[in-house]
Amino acid sequence: MDTIHDLGGRQGFGAIDVDEPEEAFHEPWEARMFGIRRAMSRPADWSLDWFRHCRELIEPTDYLSRPYFDQWLQAYAAMIANSGVATIEELASGKAKTPVSGLPPPMTAADVGGARRGNPSFAREIDEAPVFNVGDSVRVKIHGAPGHTRLPAYARGRRGIVEAHHGAHVFPDANAHGEERAAPLYTVGFDMAELWPEAQGRRERVFLNMWESYLERG
Amino acid sequence: MTKHDSNTIANIHKELHSHLPPEPALRVKALESLLVEKGIVDSEAVDAWIEVYTEEIGPKRGAEIVARAWIDPSFKARLFDNGTEAVKDFGIEQEHLQVVENTADVHNMVVCTLCSCYPTSMLGIPPTWYKMAAYRSRAVRDPRGVLEEFGVEVADDVEVRVWDSTAELRYLVVPQRPAGTEDWDEQKLARLVTRNSMIGTERDLAARIEEVA
Repeated sequence: MDTIHDLGGRQGFGAIDVDEPEEAFHEPWEARMFGIRRAMSRPADWSLDWFRHCRELIEPTDYLSRPYFDQWLQAYAAMIANSGVATIEELASGKAKTPVSGLPPPMTAADVGGARRGNPSFAREIDEAPVFNVGDSVRVKIHGAPGHTRLPAYARGRRGIVEAHHGAHVFPDANAHGEERAAPLYTVGFDMAELWPEAQGRRERVFLNMWESYLERG
Repeated sequence: MTKHDSNTIANIHKELHSHLPPEPALRVKALESLLVEKGIVDSEAVDAWIEVYTEEIGPKRGAEIVARAWIDPSFKARLFDNGTEAVKDFGIEQEHLQVVENTADVHNMVVCTLCSCYPTSMLGIPPTWYKMAAYRSRAVRDPRGVLEEFGVEVADDVEVRVWDSTAELRYLVVPQRPAGTEDWDEQKLARLVTRNSMIGTERDLAARIEEVA
């Protein structure tokens, strides 16, 4: 979906805050929000891709101006209201009016040790063989998907080389909308000059992970 | 049942914008109170998660992996062959790990232009700049300009490779081991390795030798 989150190559955002202090959280509320997300009992039909989609649908001015963990809050509040876990009125007041049903009890402090695992695997076995081989020349399709997608605008229509095939991974464009299926995933390398007119002659390449349906021969 | 519909969420965001408390600290406080009252968050578990990511899971873990790769060629070979398996030596679980190596001819830099994907189990919570518009927009268009802003000069004949984390693959940069550290042990070498050098917004660690020695 062509929302504001798709930032690769956009201009005018100014300097990077390179002097930011190196600490996990800068404000107590940031730490609380991080912990709430990790500790919360949630509906089984939520996914990481659904969360990403809900974050990228934040109003553009809020998306660009709100602190990062405030965007988490905004995305979670929307997911909670949408799934009927709480109403917007309850989210605003912080007070529960009705009980929530159908969710397991929350993680306890003792559970955190066991839950301190890394990310789950998104690799899946599929029957179809991959269409592209390492070394193939490919062109990225011009159109993105109307819902969630991981195909950035800056790569569309550009030519690259398949650098690696990673087997099949869960396809975010479907998974974000509640349908888990997998498709071949590749790493595709692009010369910087293929992406941007001012980059002629620069020794620079950009590598993206792309699902098979994002690509055609080219 | 969740309705996974884009426009519904966009409309909820608008409503939330005008109804939630004005300050982020107040919004988060209201959310936590509500979810505790609903019986789906335990505040002590929230405390425990914060402690884990403040005290335990941070860039030190990545630095230990880099230092081991510098001194142990067989570990290094395993790390590049199958990073996910290799980092289990450190008790770290990181699926789909891709390790990329800086050399005299190559500089690697990692970004997530679409959100904030980061190898959290090895580097901890990403810096805010990594997650905000300035870095995400420029890294894939003007990486040398970005590096300059971090005080890093990369010669024109060095290839800059930018890894945009658009899937669940997570990238870790192994920086170059600086000359003058030949007799250093693993622990001391690990102290040399910075978070930014493993994201690729720092390159030459020689400047830190004096500080660490």
